Amino acid sequence: MKNIPLLIGALLFSILFYQQNFGLNLSLFCLLTIGILTIYNKDLFKKKSTIIFSIVFITTAITIFFHKSSLTIIAYVVAFLTLIGNISQQGSSIYINWLNGLYASIAGFFHRNFNTTEKGEKTVPKQKTDYPHLIKIIGVPLITVIIFISLYKNGNPMFNELISKIDFRFINVQWVLVSVLGYYLLSNISKPVRVDPATTHDLNIENSLGTKGDIVEEKLKKENQLGFILITLLNILLVFFIITDIVYLISTNDLRASAFSNQVHNGINTLITSIVIAIIIILYFFRGNLNFYKDNKNLKTVTYTWIVLNLILIINIAIKDCQYIYYFGFTYKRIGVLIYLLLAIIGLFTTSIKVKQIKNFWYLFRVNTLTAFTILIISSIINWDNYITYYNLNHAKSMDFNYLLELSDNNTFLLKNYADRNNLTDEKKSLIEEKYKAYIIELESKNWQEIQYNNWKLN
Amino acid sequence: MNISSAISKSTLLATCTFWIFIISKDFQSDMIPFVFLSIIPIFLCCAFTILFTIMPFFWFKRDGLSNRSVFKKYFPFYAITSFSLCLYGAIKLSFAISFFISAFFTAMQSWVWLAKDNQ
Repeated sequence: MKNIPLLIGALLFSILFYQQNFGLNLSLFCLLTIGILTIYNKDLFKKKSTIIFSIVFITTAITIFFHKSSLTIIAYVVAFLTLIGNISQQGSSIYINWLNGLYASIAGFFHRNFNTTEKGEKTVPKQKTDYPHLIKIIGVPLITVIIFISLYKNGNPMFNELISKIDFRFINVQWVLVSVLGYYLLSNISKPVRVDPATTHDLNIENSLGTKGDIVEEKLKKENQLGFILITLLNILLVFFIITDIVYLISTNDLRASAFSNQVHNGINTLITSIVIAIIIILYFFRGNLNFYKDNKNLKTVTYTWIVLNLILIINIAIKDCQYIYYFGFTYKRIGVLIYLLLAIIGLFTTSIKVKQIKNFWYLFRVNTLTAFTILIISSIINWDNYITYYNLNHAKSMDFNYLLELSDNNTFLLKNYADRNNLTDEKKSLIEEKYKAYIIELESKNWQEIQYNNWKLN
Repeated sequence: MNISSAISKSTLLATCTFWIFIISKDFQSDMIPFVFLSIIPIFLCCAFTILFTIMPFFWFKRDGLSNRSVFKKYFPFYAITSFSLCLYGAIKLSFAISFFISAFFTAMQSWVWLAKDNQ
């Protein structure tokens, strides 16, 4: 009785995924997952965090239905793991949710199998099933019969004919195997297990930093001096770099795409190195008792200055990237740069909070992974291919037409619409027509499990 | 800890899962001799995996650490790593998908057998 929802779920899993591409099936699997989780973990679905993560998971599932892409599928998988991890352990950090979610999904059955056996041995000694004997009485006769059938087939034509007439093709073994796989997955997530050492460690560690041992004034004074000199020098260097960069930005009239590309990508490389080193140095100096040293005011001031200078560097690169987009349109790389810059701003902001409010490394890690997750989900909601195409066709000063054709099919209807309403060259029109026809054929050949929102546009 | 028993059971499990996936696609009676022949390489693979990737966790455990603790501490990371490798292998070499599926499930079950043994 207890396993009936799982058995039904396994059959549905096979119906949804056996020999199918992704589409509506992923959206329906989301509902199936939440249904199974609710049946087996009713109480947890009253908790706020579980409800939020369920909504996030449903959002990604709807997104896939509207515009399927690699990004939406990645967001879907991450949201799935986050929800499972949240159910396995409430109140843990998001990266622990991912770890627990992944572990529970792939090996929950084995974990529970091991635990159940041990518990069983300690309480009521159940009569053990003699598996080797069971295998012997089923396996040995079966194998022997098969061997003898194949031998007799060659010896007697009539027997061979009779055996050949036995047709087991109505049993689709692969379909059954997919159902078994579905049962395994749903059984794993129905009662999610957790990675013990990592989860316990995470639950025990708070965000705030406390004093470590005795505060030795002399040692802290030396460390404070070293930190102050080092960060001040780096500040001077960064100021010099920013000034030269701004002068170059104002004075240059080079509007070639390659010049913009070099500036943005070199700037990004500098920024990545600068921010990584900045955070490592800040984490090093503010790892312990220096946070509680009474004369650390100057060190904190130069640290904040460094964070602000890095923010100026980010704004500088953002301006270059926006100029690049204004003249040459959107591409995934250019959008990626903007998202990286956004992450960098949040990273620097949380680092300054760490210094001000005396937080530890785990605080930074927790907040920044949660931010990355949020940005992943939000960015997956946007139909990037469609927006890139719309902007580049209507607003960019110049653009790479072939790039738009190489994007996924999510922009096909937009391209077709544009080609119908504007005077394009015959070559461009034929390329769009080719892409459109291929997509229509693909949409029409989809089974109900694979359909997407665009299928509705055909009617 | 009875390693030979674990290797034998793993070989049987791996052979069954490996051939179930292959036979489910296409079964021909000519395959039967290969099913038996395949036991030798599968045995070698299982022995290698158990002796070199699972047993060291039990052999080099700290004093006072029970098998249950070793399982709880290392099995999750072993499971995640082996899943990632098998998934990568299955994507890169799609013709060998049955090998990677049976390798993953056999490795997981071998851990349970070995950790349960002499708890």
